[in-house]
Amino acid sequence: MTTQISAPRYTGTSVKRSEDPRILTGAGRYVDDIKLPGMLHAAFVRSPLAHGRLLTVDTAAARELPGVVAVFTGAELDAMTVPGPDPLMAFVGLGAMMPSYGLLAVDKVRFVGDPVALVIATSRARAEDGCELVEVDYEDLPPVASAAVALDPGSTPVFDDLGGNVIVPPRRSELGDVAGAFAAADLVLDCHLDVHRHQNVPMEGRAIVVSPDQETGILTVYAATQSVQITRGGIAQRLALDPAKVRVLAGDIGGSFGLKSGATREEQAVAAAAYSLGRPVKWTEDRGEHLTASGQAREESFDVRAAASKDGDLLGLDVSMVIDTGAYQVAGLIVPPTIQMMLPGPYKLPALGFESTAVTTNKASYISYRGPWASETFVRERVLDLLAKDLGLDPLEFRLRNVAPRTSPPYTMLTGRPLIGVTTTESLERLAALVDLPAFRARQAAERARGRYLGVGVATFIEAAPGPRMPGGGMPGPLATETMRLRLAEDGTLTLFTGQMPHGQRHQTTLAQIAADEFGVPFEQVRVVVGDSDVVPAALTGGSRAATMAGGVTLHGARQLKVKVLDFAARLMEASASDLEIIDGSVMVRGDPDSAISVASVASQADADADLEVTATFDGGDSGWSGGSHCAVVEVDVETGLVKVERYVAVEDCGELINPAIVEGQIRGGVAQGIGAVLLERSAYDQDGNYQSATFMDYLLPTACEIPRIEIEHLQTVPLDADVNFRGVGEGGLIVSPPTVVNAIEDALAPFGVRIYEQHLPPARILELIAAGGAAPA
Amino acid sequence: MADITVTVNGATRTASAEVRKTLADFLRDDLDLTGTHVGCEHGVCGACTVILDGRPVRSCLMLAVQAAGHQVTTVEGLAPEGTLGPLQQALQDSHGFQCGFCTPGFLMQATALLDAHPEAGEQEVREALSGNLCRCSGYQSIIDGVLLAAERAKG
Repeated sequence: MTTQISAPRYTGTSVKRSEDPRILTGAGRYVDDIKLPGMLHAAFVRSPLAHGRLLTVDTAAARELPGVVAVFTGAELDAMTVPGPDPLMAFVGLGAMMPSYGLLAVDKVRFVGDPVALVIATSRARAEDGCELVEVDYEDLPPVASAAVALDPGSTPVFDDLGGNVIVPPRRSELGDVAGAFAAADLVLDCHLDVHRHQNVPMEGRAIVVSPDQETGILTVYAATQSVQITRGGIAQRLALDPAKVRVLAGDIGGSFGLKSGATREEQAVAAAAYSLGRPVKWTEDRGEHLTASGQAREESFDVRAAASKDGDLLGLDVSMVIDTGAYQVAGLIVPPTIQMMLPGPYKLPALGFESTAVTTNKASYISYRGPWASETFVRERVLDLLAKDLGLDPLEFRLRNVAPRTSPPYTMLTGRPLIGVTTTESLERLAALVDLPAFRARQAAERARGRYLGVGVATFIEAAPGPRMPGGGMPGPLATETMRLRLAEDGTLTLFTGQMPHGQRHQTTLAQIAADEFGVPFEQVRVVVGDSDVVPAALTGGSRAATMAGGVTLHGARQLKVKVLDFAARLMEASASDLEIIDGSVMVRGDPDSAISVASVASQADADADLEVTATFDGGDSGWSGGSHCAVVEVDVETGLVKVERYVAVEDCGELINPAIVEGQIRGGVAQGIGAVLLERSAYDQDGNYQSATFMDYLLPTACEIPRIEIEHLQTVPLDADVNFRGVGEGGLIVSPPTVVNAIEDALAPFGVRIYEQHLPPARILELIAAGGAAPA
Repeated sequence: MADITVTVNGATRTASAEVRKTLADFLRDDLDLTGTHVGCEHGVCGACTVILDGRPVRSCLMLAVQAAGHQVTTVEGLAPEGTLGPLQQALQDSHGFQCGFCTPGFLMQATALLDAHPEAGEQEVREALSGNLCRCSGYQSIIDGVLLAAERAKG
C-alpha cells in the first residue's frame, strides 16, 4: 500500500456494493418512479425536418383536448425564460464561448427532433395525443447535413446570427520544429481518418420531475444528473431564479456516460412549464426521442501527416481536424483543444502541428461521451500501426521504441504536461507476454492457410485522471478542487456529504471504504450522502475525477475529523489525544482495549462546542496519469464481413485500486462500448439530414454474444503522492478499445491489402474494404 | 377504461386502466410496482421483462388487458421483502450490475432460464440473455452471477 491509510481493511478489496440490495429487488428510485399528488406529464412536438423555417404553430386543437392542461410554443417559452449556454459549460466558466439559444425552436428548426412545442396533460399518453393535434407549418431550407456542406461558404446558415456555419475558424499552432521534422523524415504518411458519430445510450434516458411549492417559492427538481449543483445552476439561470430557490434531488440514475451533465433544453423547458403552472410536471423521454434528440458525439475527421525515420523513430505529427458539433452547442467546442493536448500520448513526439475547425450542422447537439477527446487516441494509435506497416516493423515494437522513458526530471509532452509515473512500457511488455505474440503469429499463418482470417491489434492510452499538475498552476475553475463535508452523527455514523453523483460508479461504497479505514469504523457505520443540492457541495461526477478527487478529499477529511473527535474524546476520557486511537468503531488509549468507548458514545456526548464536523478540500495532490495498453484478437469472416472478438486483454494502471471489482466493471463497460462503436453503433443521418438510427433496430448496441470475456491485469503503479494514489478509470476503456479493435481488423485483413482509415466497420463496410483492397488472399 | 384483474407476485390485484395501456405502464402506474423498468418501448432492450404464466415476456409489448386473468411475476416477487433470493445474492456477490436500470429485466430473464435449464453453461446463458441490453457492465459480471447462482443451486 502506498496510500497512508491508518488501518487498511476495506480499501483495495472488492467490498460488496451497499447500493446493490435496492437495485436487485426493484426498490431503486429512478426519476420515472416518482409520483407526486396532482402531477402532470409532458410531451414534445418535434421537428420532422432537418432544417426549415417555422411558419406557424397552431396549438388551438391541442388545447381543446380533454386532459391537456397547457401547450407552450417556443415564443411562449422564450417569454418565460432567458437565453443561456449549456449549464456545464457555464459551470466551468466556458459559457461565453458558446452561442446561446432558446429552449424550443422559434423561427427555425435545426435538426430532426428539434422540440417545437411542449404539451402538458394529465397523463403521458394524453400529452402525446395533444402533440398529434398541434399543427405546424414549415418551409424547407437546404439541409446542412455534413461538415463538408457546412464548410461551403454558400451553405445556408444554421444560425442566422452566426453568419455562417464555421463557428470556430481554422486555428493552427505548431509546437517543435514541424517543417524540420518532415524535411528530415525518411517516411511521410499522408492520410485522412474519419471518426463516426455515435452516442451514449444509457439504459435510462433523460427524465425530470419539477415540483413548485407555492408557499415557499421553492422549485424542487428530481433529476437524473451527474451533478445536482450544475443542474440547479442551469435551471435557475434559465428561469431567472435565485439558485437558493431551486433544490435539485437525485436518486438512482440509470447510466449517463456524459449525457446527463446538467440540464438539457427539454428539461429546462419542463421546469419553466411547471413553474408557470404551479403544478408538478414529469417528463421521461422515450427511446426514440433519446436516440434522435438527446445528443451525439465523436463526429470528427482528420487530415494527418506523420513523419518517421527509417529506423522507426516518430519525428512529427501534423493534424488538421474538423469537428461536426451539430446544431445547439453543448460540449463540442471543448473537444478540439483537448484532442490537441492529448495527441502526443505517452510518446516522445518532437514536433506537432495542429489545426482545428468547428462547424455547426443540422444534427443533434454534440455532447460529452465517455472520454470526449478519445479521437486523439484513435488517430495516434491508428497512424502508428500504419507507419509500422510502412516501415516493416512490428507495431508493438515500434510503440516501445517511441514511448517516452520514465526519467527524472520527467519527459514533458510538447503540449505541456509532464509524463510523470507513466507505465506504458510496462503495460506493452506485459501485454506482449500475456498474448504471446509469436505463438499467435504462427496460429494466424496456419489459419490463413485454411481460409480463416485472424488478426491482433494493440493500442495504448494515457488519461489525465486528473493528471499531473500543469507547470505554473493547476486546473482553473470550480473543478480545481473537491470539497466534502464530514460529520460524526450523534449515533456514531460517520456521514460524508459529497457532490459526487454516482450513476453506476457506486461512490457510496468506494468512498465509505476509504473513510471507514482512515477514521477507524466498520464500513457499515459510514453513510455517504449524495444527490441533494441543499446539503452537498458543488462537484461533478465526470472526467474520471472521483477516484483521485473525491477519494482524496475523503481520506483527508476523515483524518481531519478524526483529530477533532479524538480531541473531544480526550476531554471525556481524561487522556491525551495523542495517546488515543480509533479502532473498529471504538476510541481507546493506544494498547489498552479496556479503555475503549464506542464512537457512538463519544458522539452522543458532544456539545455544541465539540462540533464534530469538518469541511475538507483537496486539490488532487501530486496526481498522475491513468493509462494502459489493450490487445484484441479478432476473426473476420470474409464471406459475411462479420467480426468476432475472440480475445480481449487489458493491462491497466489506474493507480491504487479502491475496489477492484468496481474498477474492472468500469474497464469492461468502456471496452464494450468501444467494441460496439466499431462493429455496430452509428448515429446515421442521410444526405438530407434525416435521422436513420431512431430505434434499437437501427442503432445496434452490443449484447452478451458480442462482448467476450475481458481479461484485465493491473500494474504496480508508481506512487506520486504521499497520500492519494487512486486514479480515475472511468473513461479509458472506451478511449483505447476502438483503435485496439480496428488495428486487429486491419491485421486480419492484411492478406487482402486492406488499409483502414475509419472507425466504423459493420459487416457491409468490411466487405467493401476487402473488395477494394485489390489483393487476392495469399 | 377497463377493470383489469391480474395475479401479481401471488396476490390478486385489480385496477382500472385505459385499454391501450401496456402491461409495463399498468404495473408501474396503476399497481405501483416500479421495479419493472421501461427502456425502449419497442421490445428490444428487455428491461421490462416480467414472467407471465412461467414464461418471460416483454411487458412493453403487451397490453394490460391481455394480461387479465394471468399470473405475473415481477422483480418485487423474486424474494420476500428485505431479503435477496439466490439469483439476486449471486449477482451481488459477482458485482453484476452498475447503474441498475437493466437489472430487473436481466433478473426475470435469468430466472426463467434457470427454471427451465438449471444446468445452463456460459454459452447458453449468453444466448439466453442476448435479448437484454446492459450499457454499463460489458455483461461478464452478469454472466458470472447467473453461472454462480446455477452452481450454488447444484449444492
